[in-house]
Amino acid sequence: MESATGLNALFDRHRAELLRFLRARCGQDQEAEDCLQELWIKASQDRAGPIANGRAYLFRMANNLVSDLRRGQLRAMRRDRHWIEAEGEVDAPELRPDPGPLADAALIEREEAEVLAQAIAALPPGARRALQLHRIDGHSQAQVAEIMGISRSGVEKHMAVAMKNLRSALVDCGFFGAAGSQQQGRSEAAALRPDDMT
Amino acid sequence: MSGDLDSIIDQAAAWQLASAGDDMDWDGFTRWLEADPRHARAFDELELTADRVEAHRDTLMPAALPVAANDEEPIAPARARGGWWRWTGGAVAAALAVAMVVPRFMTPDPAVYVTTGQSRTIALEDGSRIELAPRSRLEVGGRQQEQLALAGGAWFDIRHDPGRAMRIRAGDVTISDIGTRFDVQATQDSTRVAVAEGKVEVASAALVAPVVLARGTALQIDPGNHSAQVQRLEEAQIGTWRSGRLSYSNAPLSLVAADLRRYAGVKVEVPESLANRQFSGTLVIGDGTAALRDLSRLMDLGLERGAAGYSLSARSR
Repeated sequence: MESATGLNALFDRHRAELLRFLRARCGQDQEAEDCLQELWIKASQDRAGPIANGRAYLFRMANNLVSDLRRGQLRAMRRDRHWIEAEGEVDAPELRPDPGPLADAALIEREEAEVLAQAIAALPPGARRALQLHRIDGHSQAQVAEIMGISRSGVEKHMAVAMKNLRSALVDCGFFGAAGSQQQGRSEAAALRPDDMT
Repeated sequence: MSGDLDSIIDQAAAWQLASAGDDMDWDGFTRWLEADPRHARAFDELELTADRVEAHRDTLMPAALPVAANDEEPIAPARARGGWWRWTGGAVAAALAVAMVVPRFMTPDPAVYVTTGQSRTIALEDGSRIELAPRSRLEVGGRQQEQLALAGGAWFDIRHDPGRAMRIRAGDVTISDIGTRFDVQATQDSTRVAVAEGKVEVASAALVAPVVLARGTALQIDPGNHSAQVQRLEEAQIGTWRSGRLSYSNAPLSLVAADLRRYAGVKVEVPESLANRQFSGTLVIGDGTAALRDLSRLMDLGLERGAAGYSLSARSR
């Protein structure tokens, strides 16, 4: 009892809601439960002291955990893709020479930056400005609204235009890889799990 | 049921924006995610997009980009077109009064060019050419492509056309009366204009009156130091970045560091105490760290590598 910090107690109270959220966010139960487990660990390690709205804080942590997970999956997928692109699929993996992952990563990063730069340049001025203020300079939605002299829903519209265009640019150029097959891979992994246990 | 992909992405963007705020409706978000499996997918993609923007922030928004609304006459920001892209003045205002009915035709959206690691050449319709340096940004607007705005570096080879009033805004200066070949470097801290052929007129809030720069001269303005100086330069020293070299005569170290960052892609810190030490010489850009090592040796400075990049320091003896 005494080991449970405020956040841990909050975690216990909201556990069911958090799991429901993680299931919806992950689209997959096993992943959601892994995330919940990690959230619990993070919550017990948290030394942030009293938090104004602990429930929202936990949800935000959960949300960020999933985003971090996806980021890691993207990185892993890019590594895999480079194996295939560099060597073709003919050789067995153990016969492949080291494809020089660092050089490949640098190349894909450069291409990605170029694609993003072009997409940002092509944005309507308002969307570009909102994007810069929010995503680059780190201003909140309310601050962006104030700086640009527009309403919060105006910021929302600009950001939707900006994010939609940048997403399309990245997806169209294949930077998220076979996004669909990633999802597929995940459900396959889930389907395989019971077999692993037997 | 919940609309096409386009509207899903719109909703996802709204949730993403809201999720950063204190008043986020997490229950509503959960229900939205549950309503359609495509919702989570869209949200994932926007989060990854935001992450990639964050990862490339240094190259995407060069520090040299002038920021709107701080350095210009106050105009209601919502009305301004294009943030820092703003040309006002009697002639434009008069033209707008006539053009009110079809403003889209009279003031076409400027073309925007942005470079990251590589320079690129931009050809104007009249045959003029602009070589935009790495990590720079150029906007070309106006019906005659006569309104230009630069952040970063560029080499201009502009045909003289008396019938066209071309103006280039770069950092703290406005360049006009152009018919020549010249180089412009505009960073947050300083602006340089160097003329290799012909002449240009340079106006700036930092100058009492506009200055005409002739062939073989360069103007450097540092608003921070309240300094503006005109200097003679060998023509062969102007715009050398295009052939992979950076040439200086008596250039402050802070400026050399800014160039190394733009052209060689190496981050180097220059302490305040060294910022105004002067460097003369030529650096080869190809390998950024080699250029930096050369610089430190030529100037007898210490060079250290830290987590955020390199830093130069006075050598203790």
